Amino acid sequence: MSENTQAEQKPKKANYSDQVKARIFDQEFMPHVNSMYNFAYRLTFDEDDAKDLVQDTYLKAFRFINSFDKGTNAKAWLFRILKNSFINEFRKKSKQPAKIDYNEVEQYYNSDDAGESITTDLRVETIQHMIGDEITGALNNIPVDFRTVIILSDLEGFTYEEMSKILDIPIGTVRSRLHRARNMMKEKLSVYAAEMGYNKKKDND
Amino acid sequence: MTKFSEWFKDTFQKCYCDQGNLVNEKRFEEIVQLVLDDEADEESRRIFEEKIKNCVKSQTTFEKEKHLREKLRQKLSEHKTEMPENLIASIRKSIAQ
Repeated sequence: MSENTQAEQKPKKANYSDQVKARIFDQEFMPHVNSMYNFAYRLTFDEDDAKDLVQDTYLKAFRFINSFDKGTNAKAWLFRILKNSFINEFRKKSKQPAKIDYNEVEQYYNSDDAGESITTDLRVETIQHMIGDEITGALNNIPVDFRTVIILSDLEGFTYEEMSKILDIPIGTVRSRLHRARNMMKEKLSVYAAEMGYNKKKDND
Repeated sequence: MTKFSEWFKDTFQKCYCDQGNLVNEKRFEEIVQLVLDDEADEESRRIFEEKIKNCVKSQTTFEKEKHLREKLRQKLSEHKTEMPENLIASIRKSIAQ
């Protein structure tokens, strides 16, 4: 993948006046800054890095604003730029380099027996005992590409089609990756619950 | 989005209640995901709803996944990081330069 986002590579579709650019920026881009920051933070785990990533994303969005069709899905467009910035630029200089070989994980979870090995009996009651920190910890401990689909779907409410565009992957891959990601998270939570004795607490209640 | 109805029907044909076989649990999980993510087309959703009306095993699995998903989403949503106060000002400053 090139250094630039696809949005940046597209030929200009519009030639907005400064006034229209400012309006698009304020009314269509800025309302998503909080979601963008949370997405960036969940990718980087660092407040300064997340801030830099969001700032960089908005700068690019403004620079390439003529590639954006006003009134269309600004949130998905911005998330796509942020995701590409994270992969192409940020990951290289990240303070927290990737510890897991993504290809290895993907190969494993694509294997036929992957489904067989993930058998969790995670109960709603177990989750109720946990606090947000513990659930977030489980999410943070799954590889970034799997973590990303959970964030986009369950926290940001993107459809499979939107996620497919944001992540540059086919819809079928979105579906299977999301399924595996959720199973990975359940597995992490089950192991954690067993270690902390949450199931035992429930049984003794 | 592709229509899943044939896939749904095929999976349900092997279900416990109809054939005396266990439903293909891995496929059923994926079907539940499509339904909960609101990605199943209308016909598939209808087939699914009909199925869980008549199959205790399917309904139990669906309800469990639904509640688990809701709880996880709720806990994750509550645990958001506060955006730095100066972020908006920094963005505006950077684009003004």
